[in-house]
Amino acid sequence: MSWRDILLAMLPEHLLLLGIVLLILLDIAGLARRGSGQIPSWVALATVAAAVWAAAQLSLGAYAAAPFAGHFSVEPATLLAKALVLALALPVLLMSRGDFDGVEFPVLLLSSLYGVGLMLSADSFLTLFLGLEIMSLPVYVLVLLAYRRPQSAEAALKYLVLGGTSTAMFMMGVSLLYGGSGAMDIAVFTRALGSADSMARAGVVLVVLGFFLKAAIVPFHAWAPDAYEGASVPVTAYMAVVVKAAVLLAAVRVFGQVQLASPMLELVAVLPLASIVWGNLAAMRQASLRRMIAYSSIAHAGYLFYALLGAPEGRMQAVTFYLLAYGALNLLVFAALPPAADDQERDRLDHLQGLFHRSPFAALMIGMAMLSLAGIPPFPGFIAKFLVFKNVIAAGHTTYAVLGLLGSYLGIYFYLRVIQFMFMSDAAPTAAAAPLRRHAVAASLACVALTVVVAVFPGWVISQL
Amino acid sequence: MPEASVLNLVLCLPLLGAGLLLVSPTGRDDLTRGITLGLMTLQLALTGWLYVRFDSAVAGLQFETRLPWIATWGVHYQIGLDGYNILLVMLTAFLGPLVTASAFSAITKDVKLFYAMVLLIQFAMMGAFLAQDLFLFYVFWETMLIPMFLMIGIWGGERRIYATLKFFLYTAFGSILMLAAVIYLVWSLQTTTGVVSFAFADLVKARLPLGVQGWLLAAFALSFAIKVPMVPLHTWLPDAHVQAPTAGSVILAGVLLKMGTYGFMKLGFPLFPDATALFTPWLMTLAVVSIVYGACLALVQDDIKKIIAYSSISHLGYVMLGLLSLELVGIQGAVIQMVSHGLVAAGLFLMVGMIYERCHTRELAAYGGLARLLPVYSVFFMILTLASVGLPTTSGFTGEFLVLLGAFKAAWPPHALGLNHLPLVLAVVAVAGVVLGALYMLRFALGFLYGATKAPHQPLSDLNGREKTILGLIVVAVFALGLFPDGPLRKTELAAKAYKQLVSTSRLPGASP
Repeated sequence: MSWRDILLAMLPEHLLLLGIVLLILLDIAGLARRGSGQIPSWVALATVAAAVWAAAQLSLGAYAAAPFAGHFSVEPATLLAKALVLALALPVLLMSRGDFDGVEFPVLLLSSLYGVGLMLSADSFLTLFLGLEIMSLPVYVLVLLAYRRPQSAEAALKYLVLGGTSTAMFMMGVSLLYGGSGAMDIAVFTRALGSADSMARAGVVLVVLGFFLKAAIVPFHAWAPDAYEGASVPVTAYMAVVVKAAVLLAAVRVFGQVQLASPMLELVAVLPLASIVWGNLAAMRQASLRRMIAYSSIAHAGYLFYALLGAPEGRMQAVTFYLLAYGALNLLVFAALPPAADDQERDRLDHLQGLFHRSPFAALMIGMAMLSLAGIPPFPGFIAKFLVFKNVIAAGHTTYAVLGLLGSYLGIYFYLRVIQFMFMSDAAPTAAAAPLRRHAVAASLACVALTVVVAVFPGWVISQL
Repeated sequence: MPEASVLNLVLCLPLLGAGLLLVSPTGRDDLTRGITLGLMTLQLALTGWLYVRFDSAVAGLQFETRLPWIATWGVHYQIGLDGYNILLVMLTAFLGPLVTASAFSAITKDVKLFYAMVLLIQFAMMGAFLAQDLFLFYVFWETMLIPMFLMIGIWGGERRIYATLKFFLYTAFGSILMLAAVIYLVWSLQTTTGVVSFAFADLVKARLPLGVQGWLLAAFALSFAIKVPMVPLHTWLPDAHVQAPTAGSVILAGVLLKMGTYGFMKLGFPLFPDATALFTPWLMTLAVVSIVYGACLALVQDDIKKIIAYSSISHLGYVMLGLLSLELVGIQGAVIQMVSHGLVAAGLFLMVGMIYERCHTRELAAYGGLARLLPVYSVFFMILTLASVGLPTTSGFTGEFLVLLGAFKAAWPPHALGLNHLPLVLAVVAVAGVVLGALYMLRFALGFLYGATKAPHQPLSDLNGREKTILGLIVVAVFALGLFPDGPLRKTELAAKAYKQLVSTSRLPGASP
């Protein structure tokens, strides 16, 4: 362990920390008070951008190091994934401008991202746990930040309680694994996956369920619709995209290089399948956009966990690509969402009626995102889904793949319904043409650019992952 | 090679046009129409040039482009012309400007979006015909749904939302299972031969066990049969046709339905020859049921659009019958029948659209004696009716006659040997379908053009110059294909032979009808 390694390997995290400190200092110096412009927001954006740049540069330089051997290590693939996940936070910051004043939002977001960084590089369950908690705790507060609405408090509490349950399950699993092996490194998990020892198996199951709860997999999904609905738009976007991405990438890391076999295979296949089916079915009946996205993200978590059924070499690629496509398009929905008089109204699906005539740009963006999330070509969501199911079939699980695809068919209807509202209905009587916000447009254009790149040059993108 | 670049241009022109419309000024509807018509005409001209340059003595692909797209999966951007797609590409390009021009007066709402959708559909249909890579084909195949969904949903009739959702969900269901089959097929090819490729040429070489072939063909066939559509998967079609705007109906009937039969011919049957042999009796039966059932339904409709919609089901049954006969004449007849139906059904839908624009009703009972009110309209209508019936000298005759010839030619030997009488029975019933076809079309024409003079909206103006041009071009094409089928037949001959060889070399002993 050298100082250079500690400095370099954790450079993205260091930069985030620096940003947090800077923001707090700004606040103390009185430069971040309400009405003092957008300084905190700019600082946060610059910080995340710098962290993304650092991670990407290190990855391109094929940098690999383990500054804290057995606890924290980075490889080019990890760094690239880290850069991508952090980059997905940039549109969130952009679209939050105007929704949040002051320094709370950026500081909490950066802290959460710090946890994401730790999770993606964790080699031991201690670091993983630390990362998971550092990521989650600020999000509970972020949900509450929009306490203009009474539901926010309820949502935050629900999220907190269930998040606590998840942590407890995760820790219980880890302690069982530790009890059986005497070690805390994540390789214990892969060894326990194949073991017939009931304690090891119980440990594995608990750890997996912990992940499922965090990623909102049926039947541990009930918190997601409430939390997504209660939070304000940027926070929902953050939960749906960045948090989910971090949990999935951490899960891929923990599952390591082991081909899943029965009975763990069933655990990792059946619950995500149930998620796909139930998420898509329940989404059909939602009247609130954020609840619908919540159910949609429950289904997408199912596809993402499906990627674990594939051969170990392809998992990271499949999950990263999926997250890239899913993240960009989900963020696009939230960024392009037209502003409304109040948050509650903005959330209603019928608020979108006739959107094409009020704001063609927003309607086209949201429409594209919906089709992509539904997995319809030529949009990137299709290629991502294709990649996942290709790996599942190549691993010999054809039945699960077919069931998963049929489950994804159930999802098409509610995505189309949004398009129907926007293009085929007359304008909602209450809706008025609202001017687009510049930063939201910038955020959506960034997402569109990413989408186009992924859709037109998927081969290039995949070969980079 | 300039031809290959021109082919790429032909494919991409509509996409460029859609991009152009995106940045063109809003509110200038005439500019939008002009841009679209100009691009479509250019596309037709270029396609015509390629058609002439297409060498009918060369088997396989011509004017090919092959570029890596997703290299690690073996996915290529590979397009080209061959005997399978040349006529359908020509048909698509031919109908493009006509569809564009036909909507000049009918569409006044969201004109820019409408023409963007027309261009995108044109792009996707061209792409699906030209694609020589399964992944690329699937992408185009699915992309087609999106603009069509919007077209029916935004500019359709009063039950448009129901119709368009039904259309989308029906076709997407077939596609999702086809997707599983596509992945499985490519993966099998990879494990058995080590070749990682989505190219049709490579996939044809994969010889899978019969059981696997059966499942895969079932998945592909479901998707294609929904698109054709074959009875009993046809229920989306009347709804979609009736609710769609005229341009949508024309695109649906003219080109989109041929995707299904083209898919069977290009992919379904050649990829899984053993399973095809096994399924042939069932598919043939369904084809003949489609012919007769579609015709019977067309006979009792009160809505003029529905009559033509059901007649499409009937006419595409002949295409399936021809493809399954595995006789050269039958296969070539099927291809001609595809083009012929594309022209005739498109023409009839255009004519229905024209009368609807004037009278705003599609009730057959509301009309009568139009021959006296609209003489020019009636002449065109009668010609297209007779082409639909399959009168000699029209394209409908060429197609149906060759298909039935092929069906009998294939059916006679097993019958004479006393092995299998089913094909002969089916062929005889299919001939009865021709009679039914005459019955429903003549009933339609009789009520429409003759009898007591009535129209819901008078006075009626006869066709204007634009409408005459559109219909004139279609009628010319119908007669050209009916009187001089030699040229098109020669262009497709080698492909038909290749298809026959691919599908029939590996017939299972005993399973052959």
